[in-house]
Amino acid sequence: MNDENMLFATEDEQLAAQEETEEIVTRKFVLFQTANLLFGIGAEDVVEIITNYPITRVPMVPAYVRGIINLRGQTIPLIDMRLRLNLPPAESDCIIVINVEDMLIGILVDTVCQIIDIPVDSILPVPAHNAQKYVSGMSSMTNGAGTMLVLDCPLLLAD
Amino acid sequence: MGNNGDSVLEMYLYETNTLLEQLDNIMLTAEQADTLSQDDVNEIFRIMHTLKGSAAMMEFEPLMTIAHRIEDLFYLIREGSMDIIPEKDRPQLFDMLFQSIDYFRSEVSKIENGEPLSQNIDSFLSAINTFIDKIKGESQASESQSGQAPAAPADESADGAQAGAAGRYSLRIFLDEGCGMENLRAFMVVSDVKDRCQDFTYEPEDLENNSDLSAQIAEKGFVMHFSSEADRKGAIEVASGLGFVKTYETFETAETVQPAETTQPAAEALSSASASKAATPVQEKQPAPSKPAGAGAQANPSHVGANHQVKQSLISVNLSKLDQLMAVVGEIVITEAMVTASPDLKNLDGIRLDNFNKSARQLRKLTDELQDISMSLRMVPVSSTFQKMRRIVRDMGQKLGRRARLTIIGEDTEIDKTIVDAISDPIMHIVRNSMDHGIEENEQDRIAAGKDPEGEIILSARNTGSEVIIQIEDDGMGVDYDKTLQKAIRQGLANPDTEYSNREIINFLMMPGFSTNTEVTEFSGRGVGMDVVKKNVEAVGGTVIMTSEQGKGSCTTLKIPLTTAIMDGMEVSVGDSIFTIPIQNIRQSFKATDEDIIHDAAEGEMINRMDNFYPVLRLYELYGLEPKAASTADGIFVWVETGEVSYCLFVDELLGEQQVVIKPLPAYLNNFGIKDAGIVGCTILGDGNISLILEASSLLGPAMGY
Repeated sequence: MNDENMLFATEDEQLAAQEETEEIVTRKFVLFQTANLLFGIGAEDVVEIITNYPITRVPMVPAYVRGIINLRGQTIPLIDMRLRLNLPPAESDCIIVINVEDMLIGILVDTVCQIIDIPVDSILPVPAHNAQKYVSGMSSMTNGAGTMLVLDCPLLLAD
Repeated sequence: MGNNGDSVLEMYLYETNTLLEQLDNIMLTAEQADTLSQDDVNEIFRIMHTLKGSAAMMEFEPLMTIAHRIEDLFYLIREGSMDIIPEKDRPQLFDMLFQSIDYFRSEVSKIENGEPLSQNIDSFLSAINTFIDKIKGESQASESQSGQAPAAPADESADGAQAGAAGRYSLRIFLDEGCGMENLRAFMVVSDVKDRCQDFTYEPEDLENNSDLSAQIAEKGFVMHFSSEADRKGAIEVASGLGFVKTYETFETAETVQPAETTQPAAEALSSASASKAATPVQEKQPAPSKPAGAGAQANPSHVGANHQVKQSLISVNLSKLDQLMAVVGEIVITEAMVTASPDLKNLDGIRLDNFNKSARQLRKLTDELQDISMSLRMVPVSSTFQKMRRIVRDMGQKLGRRARLTIIGEDTEIDKTIVDAISDPIMHIVRNSMDHGIEENEQDRIAAGKDPEGEIILSARNTGSEVIIQIEDDGMGVDYDKTLQKAIRQGLANPDTEYSNREIINFLMMPGFSTNTEVTEFSGRGVGMDVVKKNVEAVGGTVIMTSEQGKGSCTTLKIPLTTAIMDGMEVSVGDSIFTIPIQNIRQSFKATDEDIIHDAAEGEMINRMDNFYPVLRLYELYGLEPKAASTADGIFVWVETGEVSYCLFVDELLGEQQVVIKPLPAYLNNFGIKDAGIVGCTILGDGNISLILEASSLLGPAMGY
């Protein structure tokens, strides 16, 4: 019995050691800034980044839905990130078009920063008592630029 | 992989539905003629066979079983022609087939909805089985009685009795080489066998007297035909006991061989090749084929050629692909306008653009053509929808005991596929109404009124170029205006003190609430779900008009625009926003001042137009916009009317009329219920801006607080 346990333990250890030496699993994120918050969206969800589109107001919707834009013939709803977070609005025309459950949605943000690779295991869950709205995880930036909040797109759209 | 399975299922559903529709049509025509032609029988047999096969492939066990039994039934009918079913049983056969169609339909819809199939088919199955047994019993009875059983054409041949009695089991006997007098030796075999059993024939027949046959028998042997396996076994025993019999072979022949072989060289007649040769001429002479294999193979292709329209070369395309195509074409139309009307061009003062203009005209022509073609792709004839009504008229006629025929005119008229789907239910509703309330309950009443005892419902469709007009007309008793008005008053829809025109009265029938009362059936008038009909038709941009003459019949007219994807709209502006109002909803637009507006107790505003007061709806108030028109006099009123609602919409400015391509709003926005707030879609304008399309009827809802 003891011998067997020993055997298994060493195997597990070996496996763990192998994984460590092999490549680190990373995920690409698009970083953007809204007010003083740094958000990241999984790059696979981002369709494109556009600027300077005329916005058509749509009545009878919450204020954070700024309206719709005409993206080459497709009409896409636009969500203002600041208003969604109950922050004071600001002038901006930087829109990230994301694909959420096969719907195209535009998010109005202050600035788009960069695209970076982040090791998957460096993304930590949000502390339960401090749960930020629309955030599914967070990760400290290696370059000391602050903490990235991982945006949960479906949550962003949910009421 | 899952996808693959889906497409197989889709194919199955498509195929099955098509076959059921075909079957329905065959049965309806057949029922009128009260018989099934041989072609019909073959067709039904083929359909059932296919249904069985595909159900088996998809492992829909109950469907397969039912189809299999009906196939069996039609196998019998095909063998014996329609004659084996006596007149009195035919309604039962038709009913059973209609039942089976309904059964298949309901099961198929269960499959479509992903529900489990009902396994309880025993009672239905046993009904079919009983019927099959009945036919079998009757066909056997008639066979023995008259000797005319179609399954035994041999009876009609010259050597009737003998051939009829024996034949199926044959035995060919070869004699020892060089034994001599082969004909007599053969006759000895025959007479020895005769001691054993009587029921057989042999050939050549004149063995005893014709010594010329010796050579033939020596070479090819001679043949005996027995009616049963046991008799043949006995004969083999006898023959083996005789010293001069060298060898023998057994084979089966069909009875049909009998007549043929008497005219053919005897020795050849019984090879299996000649058996089928013999069958072919028989089948040509006789309407009722006796060999199923040959008959099936021959009758089917000829049937397809004769009875069906020439097959068009068709492909089936997923509707979503056509939608995509339409969307792209819509884009091209918009983009074309954007390019040719580009503001940049206006800045090129003094520069001649001859070539550009020429190309632009060419482009416009081509995009128009492209738009026409892509729209025509979505067009389907209304015939399948119309044909379904035959079934309804039939079923209701039987249930209510009324005789009525359905006349269909213009079933080739083509309508957009989505519209066909949308109006199928309304048409059904109206046809039902015509049967239920229109056609007189009593034939005597019709005769007394000088009408044909058989009621008539005319279902017609025609294309006027911009819209399709569908009319459902009956020659029943029409709407009883007095009773209808009384009822409307009781329902609180009409004012007892007001005089109403017949047209207004008939419109009560289409009001919501009129038909919810169960008492409706006691009325001679109409009203079952007409409000739903109206709603459905209006949902695709159409209108419903009812007319009726008491005692002569009623007519319901559906006017439906050819396509809803592109419409004429009036662009209006409120503040910075641009809205599109469908032209067909606008009655007029006018200017007014504050003095013209009357306030009611609830702060509501009204305005007098043409001696009537209409509510005023200020779009900027409703949507919380900043209007540019500072006062009432600066803006403009648009008098909007759809069906039952009529009001005046106050906007800043009319921008002009424009053809617009309707686009659905992004799905996300529907979460906020803006459809109920009057915004049903959007369109992209020539300059790339988006305009929201307003729907007049749902706009009034939020404004009036409900």
